[in-house]
Amino acid sequence: MIFIGILVAGLFVLYPWVIADDFYGRMGADVLLAAIGASAWNILGGYAGQISVGHAVFFGVGAYLPLLAFTHLGLPPVAGVPLAVVISLGVAIVIGLPTFRLHGHYFSMATIAVAELIRIAISNWDYVGAATGLMGPAVSRTWLDLSFRSPIPYYYLFLVVLACLLLLTWHLQRSRMGYYWRAIRAGERPARSLGVPVARYKLYALLLSAAFTSLAGSLYSLMVGFIDPESGFGILRSVEMIIIAALGGAGTLFGPLLGAVILIPLQTTTNSLFGGGGSGLTYILYGGIIVILARFEPGGLLDLARRIAQWWSRRREGVAVRHAA
Amino acid sequence: MLLSARQVSRSFGSFVALANASLDVGEGEIVGLIGPNGAGKSTFFNCVAGDIPPTTGRIVFSDIDVTRASAATHARLGIGRTFQVPATFEEMSILDNVMVGAFLRHHHRGEARAAAREIIEFTGLKALAESPAKSLGTPGRKRLEIARVLATEPRLLLLDEALAGLTPTEIQEAIALVRRIHAKGVTIVIVEHIMEVILTLAERVLVFNQGLTIASGKPRDVVNDPAVIEAYLGRRHARDPGAHAP
Amino acid sequence: MTIIQVIVGGLLLGAVYALFSSGLTLIWGMMNVINFAHGEFVMIGMYVAFLIVTYLNGGPLAFGPAAAAFLFLFGIFVYYSLIRHVMRGPMLAQILSTFGLALLLRYLAFWIFTANFKTLPQDLLPGVINVGGILIGVPQFVAGIVAIVLTMGLHLLLTRTAVGSQLLAVAEDRQAAMLMGIRPDRMQAIAWGLSGAGAGIAGALIATFYYISPTVGESLALTAFVVVALGGFGSVPGALAAGLVVGVIQSLSAYLLGPVYKDIIVYGLFVAILWVRPEGLFGKAGA
Repeated sequence: MIFIGILVAGLFVLYPWVIADDFYGRMGADVLLAAIGASAWNILGGYAGQISVGHAVFFGVGAYLPLLAFTHLGLPPVAGVPLAVVISLGVAIVIGLPTFRLHGHYFSMATIAVAELIRIAISNWDYVGAATGLMGPAVSRTWLDLSFRSPIPYYYLFLVVLACLLLLTWHLQRSRMGYYWRAIRAGERPARSLGVPVARYKLYALLLSAAFTSLAGSLYSLMVGFIDPESGFGILRSVEMIIIAALGGAGTLFGPLLGAVILIPLQTTTNSLFGGGGSGLTYILYGGIIVILARFEPGGLLDLARRIAQWWSRRREGVAVRHAA
Repeated sequence: MLLSARQVSRSFGSFVALANASLDVGEGEIVGLIGPNGAGKSTFFNCVAGDIPPTTGRIVFSDIDVTRASAATHARLGIGRTFQVPATFEEMSILDNVMVGAFLRHHHRGEARAAAREIIEFTGLKALAESPAKSLGTPGRKRLEIARVLATEPRLLLLDEALAGLTPTEIQEAIALVRRIHAKGVTIVIVEHIMEVILTLAERVLVFNQGLTIASGKPRDVVNDPAVIEAYLGRRHARDPGAHAP
Repeated sequence: MTIIQVIVGGLLLGAVYALFSSGLTLIWGMMNVINFAHGEFVMIGMYVAFLIVTYLNGGPLAFGPAAAAFLFLFGIFVYYSLIRHVMRGPMLAQILSTFGLALLLRYLAFWIFTANFKTLPQDLLPGVINVGGILIGVPQFVAGIVAIVLTMGLHLLLTRTAVGSQLLAVAEDRQAAMLMGIRPDRMQAIAWGLSGAGAGIAGALIATFYYISPTVGESLALTAFVVVALGGFGSVPGALAAGLVVGVIQSLSAYLLGPVYKDIIVYGLFVAILWVRPEGLFGKAGA
């Protein structure tokens, strides 16, 4: 198991060198970026079981602040990252504090309402670019601008961030916090009866998730150098995070990464096959996948794989017993 | 007095589920709550457990007023409860289930794990520690719930029909387990239908009917109380229903 | 005078909001499920109206009931094929199921009908009514009145008929209802059917004075969320009152602050409700 893990990790590290092609390098960066966002969503939705369908709100904040810092203050975009996190945490508190005391649906509804509210507000506010959006530095003025022409530096930056996020998640899920999150997901009433401060721990999960989603947004605008209300706060941004996490396996450590590895290349393919996002065929597919996952395999591919492995090993045991008899 | 519940009432709209129930439980006792279905004992139980707040009345645990305290606060103070319909964490292993309880008192993974293992051994679940909770049958789930709540180191344990639906053998095992728990110094309040269990385990019994407490005392005495018989078997004679209220 | 006109317009529109929100709150109260695709149900009602007008030359008396019937069946279909199963499962599956359905329906509509706005012919319900100096378009007037009547009708159905009391029984206590011989499964399917029908008619009504597009579902769903939160979990009378309130607030915001603000104020109101009075005007607090 560990050997395979090291092998896979090695593949991820060496990928850009082996591929040495801007298109595929960029796709690799896209995969990692999507994995970061989905892994951040996963902390709240997968482990703690609180489903945010408007998570783009944190992504959008994270994407806008750096470009605002650049556009209005002439600062390197990175300078906007800390404030983006702070604002995201603030939004998280506004959404989570009242709703975590209530039944889960209130929270989900609130996430989408706030995301839409902010999207509309931004679309009509000239200072932040209105519907046109904001741009980043066309060319790096200093190295701090992090405006690279090749996707490779972004790839490695994203890889490091993803590794840190996954490491943190791994550590948390085996700690008291992680056990409490899983208990909350499995049953709030029994969790409470065991002393779990349910609302408080939901909030912790949300704050962590919001901070890293914000970071994902910042990384996005660093690489792409452009943001507008739709790409930052739109429902499709939220959908992407959810479907990637859920397809791979919500509540597992590597599920989101698996989902990203499958869906991002798939998305690029269907987009070029069906002539761009305009016809929306990709999203018909996404909608269908989400419904099928919800109906048949809410645990995602990793859960399916685990069950297949169990069935297989039980079958082999059965064969061994029969042979022994 | 470890637990003192006074004049606890609970209404749901205009429906009075519980009226002026009182109960004192001393440290180290085993007290039974019995009564027909819908008699109010579950409501009383849930008020004491902190699941629902009483409409009126006062509940004091170990000199602390817990009337309006949350269920989580109850647990922290040392009141633990099981559920009538077992609410185990299905996808988590038995060990992980118990660890959730243990984490209340042990903040570090290693300690919580060790404490959980001890409890699992104590409750006889050792062989299944790594299996998911959903692989257990109902008796196993009930046992797991008990193990899980024991991990929170309760001083008062509230058992909600923990023995319902068990075979006679399983009932004997469960009674033995409750005795072992009691021997460790845990005070127990048990809601139960099965008379045999109440007679064997409880030192004192409180009888509910239609939201009121109608009798209390030693199990043998209560069982022979005409008001109690009437509550269970129906009206045999015209009788003043309040005659035996405490 | 103009402010009164805005308010009246808001009330009429609000009645339509109440109509489709009442179905949403019924399902929520009965099954603790929020239909994230509810806005798309309304959208489908709009397109049914469009298709009937365009290809069958039908008028409002044709496409109204047609939209209701189609969405009634569709609601039942969605219940049996999807909802019934995910209700028993984890929250993730429950929320993703209708959320994914919303996405699927929305982009299917994009694909089938394209993104171009469509409208129904202006001569279906022509003219403007003058009520004491207040000018109201006939479609808006008809829509509002029909919506109020139907919403009250739903309330009466729930409280005065045998089917209605069975539905409420299941909402109140599933176990007890089963013991009384009521089949919760069938009742829940009916609730989904009613919810769909309400959304369908509302869509048909809206189509007479508003543009038809695959994207309308998103904001309509959010409006419904605000209405059910304000009206109270599970309360149809609450949804009626809240719908009217939301309609008026929306219209006033657009008039006083500008059209951009109509949604911002309403969504902001939603957050405010959650902070201040989550149980809404009439509801029991969501469990």
